Amino acid sequence: MAFIEVENLNKQFIIRKKREKGQLMRPKEEISALREVSFQVNQGELVGYIGPNGAGKSTTVKILSGILTPDSGCVSVDGLVPWADRKAHVRRIGVVFGQRSQLWWDVPIADSFALLKEIYHVPEAAYQARMGELTEALQLGDLMRTPLRLLSLGQRMRAELCGSLLHSPSLLFLDEPTIGLDAVSKLTLREFLQWENRQRGTTILLTTHDMEDITALCSRVMVLGHGRKLYDGELTDLLARYDTERIITARYEEEISGTAWPEGCQIRRNGENWIITYAPKKIPTAEMMARMQQAGHLRECTVQPQNVDRLIARMYQEMEL
Amino acid sequence: MMNRMRSFRTYGAIFRMRRRMETQYRGAVLGGVVCQVFFGLVLIAVYRALYTGNPQPMALSAITTYVWLQQAFFRMLLASDPDLMEKIRTGAIAYDLCRPLSLYGYYYARILAQKWMGSLLRALPMILLAILLPPGWGLAAPASWAALGCASAALLMGLCCVSAMENITMAFTMRTLDPRGVQAMMNLLMMTFSGNILPLTLFPDRWQRVITLLPYAQLLDAPIRLYTGEYALEEASRILAIQAGWTVILIGIGAYLWRLNQRRLIIQGG
Repeated sequence: MAFIEVENLNKQFIIRKKREKGQLMRPKEEISALREVSFQVNQGELVGYIGPNGAGKSTTVKILSGILTPDSGCVSVDGLVPWADRKAHVRRIGVVFGQRSQLWWDVPIADSFALLKEIYHVPEAAYQARMGELTEALQLGDLMRTPLRLLSLGQRMRAELCGSLLHSPSLLFLDEPTIGLDAVSKLTLREFLQWENRQRGTTILLTTHDMEDITALCSRVMVLGHGRKLYDGELTDLLARYDTERIITARYEEEISGTAWPEGCQIRRNGENWIITYAPKKIPTAEMMARMQQAGHLRECTVQPQNVDRLIARMYQEMEL
Repeated sequence: MMNRMRSFRTYGAIFRMRRRMETQYRGAVLGGVVCQVFFGLVLIAVYRALYTGNPQPMALSAITTYVWLQQAFFRMLLASDPDLMEKIRTGAIAYDLCRPLSLYGYYYARILAQKWMGSLLRALPMILLAILLPPGWGLAAPASWAALGCASAALLMGLCCVSAMENITMAFTMRTLDPRGVQAMMNLLMMTFSGNILPLTLFPDRWQRVITLLPYAQLLDAPIRLYTGEYALEEASRILAIQAGWTVILIGIGAYLWRLNQRRLIIQGG
């Protein structure tokens, strides 16, 4: 049996709308946050969980962490049903909600950690060892005596991660952990997550809108839209599927005629630059490059890297999300 | 057994943390003291005017003592934990829900700490001040040392009782996501039947027979009457038993409501 087993998960929320003229009661509207979602995650995997706002990602995380009860469906995490065996289950998981805080606002973060140690009954020796490890990896050493309210957003997120991991959970849920962080903080956080995943074998489920988080960390992604699972598999396969056009910018030593281009690609000129848009599925990049060299003496040539955000936007559009 | 000891330690740690937070807001303490002293003086001035030429069944010094003790521990009655409300409103409560704790116990420890430390910080300077006021205005000495002891015990029971009441309000807030409706109603009952607006000793005797049995009378009215000697020492065990009874009942109701809540939770926001 897999570490996380989710089968036919359903969850609806009832929203009461504004009363219209002539209606006695406020009309109800049912919104399906999750419809028949199933997946499995093995121990030690680092899985990205993406989808537009309101797709049901957070609902899944809340159900998996035992906060929310689904309407129907089966979930088992390491043999436990999260909402039924809540206390035993939450002892083994860590959660980071990127937009909320679990640490106490006015006291040094070290004191918040000490309270979490009591809450999770972490033995003193284990606590010391783990804290040493975490403060080093997350560069928190100098901040331990600083109250949370004086920390920057990046420092705060590192502290939150430390708080969620000090009881050494085997499973970590991250709900938008890099939201609002600067580039350096994002990189530090990603490196840390990779380290935690590789060194300790912590299974990580990462929810994010930042596609760089996903490309940097996850080989497997699940895509959710309107409460349904739309894709589950390798990130590279997903990207290939929606990688329908690519752009090359080239400059030549001499004036060239521009008639030697293969069919089906679009050519634009911008001063000395030739901007060529082509479909890599029809014309392999290698062939494209060969053709370009035949056309004249290439001085400079850049292939624009895949813009993951654009690919994902195209995917959402195509899936009508 | 080991487990129970350990979780007791956990709730103790939560209590200490929340207690410490309460000592952080010294400006709020000062403001509270000034406000409550003002109210105390106004109320006593009113009673003095009422008593002039109209002898009443209750001695004036007993009334002023009642008023001061009510004002000194006012914070125990009417103060919701703003952090807790904020957590429920913003959804940060999600974090508390994924702790291996009983939610009821977690919030009870927090509420107890807030009410205990919050009222103690305000009560000590106010009691000191009230002792220094001239007779007929200030706080009189307790009926006896034993009365003081019984009153202190009853005050602690009152604290446990009021925390249980507050936790019930919290459970409803979890449902309605806004405390104001429940709170406005509860505050009215609280102010009237705890003796804060008008000492319960001044209510008609027939009313008192019922009112003194309500949970509201267990919070401050019962300890104050033990202090002034209105309740004799022989009655102390009966009073404490009533207080304990209500505390158990209210904790039972609160724990049940929290369990229901946990079954149908909606966390605010993405």
